[in-house]
Amino acid sequence: MWEGPGFSPALPFLITLSTDRSRGAQLGAFGHYLTGHFATLRLEFWALFVGGLANGVLYGMVAVGYTLVYGVLRLINFAHSEIFMSGGFAGYFVMKAMVGNSVPSGFASVSFIVIGILVGAFVGAFMATLVERVAYRPLRRRHAPALAYLISAIGASYFLYNMAGKEFGRVPISMPQPYINHPIFHIFNAPVQMYYVIILIAGAVMFLTLDRIVAKTKLGRSIRAVAQDAETASLMGVNIDRTIVLTFIVGGALGGAAGFLFGMGTGVSNTMGFVPALKAFTAAVLGGIGNLRGAMIGGFLLGVVESLSVVFVQAAYMDVVAFGILVAVLLFRPTGILGERLGRAA
Amino acid sequence: MSDTIFDVDRITLRFGGVVSLNDVTLHQNRGEILAVIGPNGAGKTSLFNSLTGVYQPQEGTITFVGSDGKPMNVIGKKAHRVSTAGVARTFQASRMFSALTAFENIKIGAESHRGIGVLGAMLRGPATRRDEHTSDERTVQLLDFVGLRAKANVISSSLSYGDRRRLEIARGLATSPQVLLLDEPAAGTNPSEKLELTALIRKVRDEMGVSILLIEHDMKLVMSLAERLYVLNFGSVIAEGTPEEIRANDKVIEAYLGSTASETGDRS
Amino acid sequence: MKRYFANTHFKRLMSSVAAMAILELMTGPPGSALDPTAGFTGSFGEASSFFGLFRTQRWVVFLFIAFIMFGLWTSWLTWGAQVKTATTKAMSVPRSVSHKQPVRWGVTLVLLVVALLLPHLITDPFWQAAMVEQIAVYVLLALGLNVVVGFAGLLDLGFVAFYAIGAYTTAWVTGALPTAAPFGIHFNNFYAIPIAIGLAMGAGIILGAPTLRLRGDYLAIVTLGFGEIITIFANNLYGITGGSQGTKTIPHFSLHVGPVKYLWGLTPVPYYYLTIVFVILFLIGFRLLEHSRVGRAWTAIREDEVAAESVGINPLKYKVMAFAIGASTAGFAGVVTASQSNTIFPSSFTLQFSINILVLVIFGGMGSITGVVLGAIVIQTGSMYLLHTPPAGYQPQDLYIYLGALLVVMMIFRPAGLVPSRRRHREIGLAEAGEGHMDEVLTGDTP
Repeated sequence: MWEGPGFSPALPFLITLSTDRSRGAQLGAFGHYLTGHFATLRLEFWALFVGGLANGVLYGMVAVGYTLVYGVLRLINFAHSEIFMSGGFAGYFVMKAMVGNSVPSGFASVSFIVIGILVGAFVGAFMATLVERVAYRPLRRRHAPALAYLISAIGASYFLYNMAGKEFGRVPISMPQPYINHPIFHIFNAPVQMYYVIILIAGAVMFLTLDRIVAKTKLGRSIRAVAQDAETASLMGVNIDRTIVLTFIVGGALGGAAGFLFGMGTGVSNTMGFVPALKAFTAAVLGGIGNLRGAMIGGFLLGVVESLSVVFVQAAYMDVVAFGILVAVLLFRPTGILGERLGRAA
Repeated sequence: MSDTIFDVDRITLRFGGVVSLNDVTLHQNRGEILAVIGPNGAGKTSLFNSLTGVYQPQEGTITFVGSDGKPMNVIGKKAHRVSTAGVARTFQASRMFSALTAFENIKIGAESHRGIGVLGAMLRGPATRRDEHTSDERTVQLLDFVGLRAKANVISSSLSYGDRRRLEIARGLATSPQVLLLDEPAAGTNPSEKLELTALIRKVRDEMGVSILLIEHDMKLVMSLAERLYVLNFGSVIAEGTPEEIRANDKVIEAYLGSTASETGDRS
Repeated sequence: MKRYFANTHFKRLMSSVAAMAILELMTGPPGSALDPTAGFTGSFGEASSFFGLFRTQRWVVFLFIAFIMFGLWTSWLTWGAQVKTATTKAMSVPRSVSHKQPVRWGVTLVLLVVALLLPHLITDPFWQAAMVEQIAVYVLLALGLNVVVGFAGLLDLGFVAFYAIGAYTTAWVTGALPTAAPFGIHFNNFYAIPIAIGLAMGAGIILGAPTLRLRGDYLAIVTLGFGEIITIFANNLYGITGGSQGTKTIPHFSLHVGPVKYLWGLTPVPYYYLTIVFVILFLIGFRLLEHSRVGRAWTAIREDEVAAESVGINPLKYKVMAFAIGASTAGFAGVVTASQSNTIFPSSFTLQFSINILVLVIFGGMGSITGVVLGAIVIQTGSMYLLHTPPAGYQPQDLYIYLGALLVVMMIFRPAGLVPSRRRHREIGLAEAGEGHMDEVLTGDTP
């Protein structure tokens, strides 16, 4: 599964910076090694920070899907990585159909991106509902034990991932760019590229909307009610089945949109979901699984930490850093930064 | 005081902002049949869970004196450690290993205190076989003791309520406990089963020398069985004494018997 | 109109058609990045023979199958119960015979003889190699994972990591890694066995002890990550593992006791016998384990952890142990594979592998040793058959689509597997009837 692209979208300069392997040899003089790296860190901090934050927004968007489903079902949706992937592919096809030979700009750019996000979100939500219908609902009807859900979700994920490989090929494809990726402005001499700006704006809009939806609307109330106490919620007239489907839809939409945004930078492939999803899960746990705001904050934090870690370790080990964070959180604070429970989120 | 088995000193248990047990003090002598009564939600099961290491009270101490006479602080110990030390229990809604037979249920209790011995199990050496044999004998003994010999190979989920209660008691006894905690043993049983159960509990104490601590709603059963009672209300102990004293206690009548007079019978 | 859609017959028909449409896609031609719709159009529109009767398009054939499926489904709902009771009645006599001890021993003996004669019955070199590399080793792996998933009820998605540890340990011990062998001596492969088992077990304990305290699904995701991490390390630690270039040549097993000298490896057959011996040893060991104190404790924990703790069972200890036993079995299988295939590459230790083994266990029946062995043989033989004589349009990677679908289908229709373990079967039945205290999931309120 490792043949897919690593998750460091549009950070080519970082990769060159960190694949220089001479650093391994310096390990002997550890002090020298550290000072050297802190110097690099000081120079590159803002560039790394912005890149990491953009990644973090994507992690957060995917993490929301994990957290919502976990909140109501107390289960990790293992098929979420493939919902992410489906959003990426949907966006790819839309961009392929719309973007011509020249890279668009201005209004066309904005509208293409918005359309891409909407289509990614729609397809993500659709796939999530499908997964719920096929891999979850029959088991819920039968009162299956938790292990059965995990296995069936893994089966669904594996099926979708390999199906996509069959239908769309097993090599990464780059997405036609709907915008010109030039630096928009500088923070402390670090250029901030268009791609990051798009992600940050899109992420901010989606997070705020979601937060309001969960806090204020009837849908949000029913989700929180079911997350807190399903039995009581059911007695109070909340339709549990519908609420479960809705959490899949909301999480799937965010995951699909994130898939599109990710695909814009890194390209799409059938393996694109695996590593980002694992990291998004880490983000969800880091923030406190079941906790919406926690998922977002966990995402930012993980993105930034991981991005900064590139100064100290080879890029190939970035995923190891994220995994280390996951294990450390599970070991020392399994409830995450903000604690569990969806109900407390808003 | 060398005959103490449980000494609960001013424990307080909170969940978030809810105080489940408030400054509870309780004392049980070895060989005593002690009962804890109180209305629903008074904290009886919380007390049991605290005594068995499932919940960890924030304040106070719980001292359990095992067969070796050494006091042990229960708070901070895991449930399986408490069980190994000599505290057995049953559950309110009986929790069997429901896909296993009655025999297997008891056997699990009988052998759980031994070391693991994976290699021994995989090679099935003489020591393992000897252990199996001992456990089997003990299991049969206990099946006889609670009167379930004939149902040894019945899947526990298809046993009747009364039989499940007996089985749970036998499973607890299989761990060779010093004290047996019974959480509403008579719930869901019919009058004749109740009588048998009362006799069984008394037999456990008299013949096996195991102290009994029970929670019960059925006042008739409690009054005929318990030698001393504690009354809990809203997480606090409001009275303590012999059945006669409790019967005459105004506070108890007001808080418990009075308020729930209509449902003092069978809850089910 | 709305009533028509809500009609259960209509729903059933639509489900049949949808299932067949998916099957069409699964068996249809592939698409590609340049022509992403080719797979879809081809799957439905490609010319096909209607059961040899006349020429038509694929969708016609599958629509026909969907109607037959719908018919079978409907009649199963009407007469299924009767068929079931009839078969139970018909099977009661053979079943009572098969439960008798001497009959069981007889069957076991016959199977053993067949297993021993097999390399002489099947002489095709492809199948001889497959019997060792893809079937016997996988039976071993499935037996190991069964301890984790079946006995202890833990989901391990990083089984490949321990397999890789076993394989790389073999390379290390026999001096096939860039890094120096222990004590500078190139040991015989047999010495690799205890070392690999020990290291894999150690890794299992280190990974399991902290995560097994947590909920079961955390374990699944942590092991999933761990499987990937091991591959990353194998790929990038050039100086230690040889990186993506793989290891140097790993020698074959060899025996040198007094006058007896034997070198494995000229043909697959000697390896077959070696592996079969190991399989039988593990089979007996795990069978005894299942019916020992340890096996009963696992059952108790699986069914009701709180009650298990109340009788003095330390759940964490038993879970870690199951995890470590599974890990060490995988490590052991790694030794066999590494010795037999001479070189190992990080690219062979993928998530695919872990899921493949999981499918063997789930398909055969979690917790049922007979089932797991049978499941491994059936699935691996099937996949090898597809590899050997692929039907039109089949690509080797398509196998994983089938395996994924199989997991979902098994969980929906037969969660206890092909040959259910008696305990597991009862547990699932009880859980579904709302009894017992297994992990429950919110079930919603639609009927």
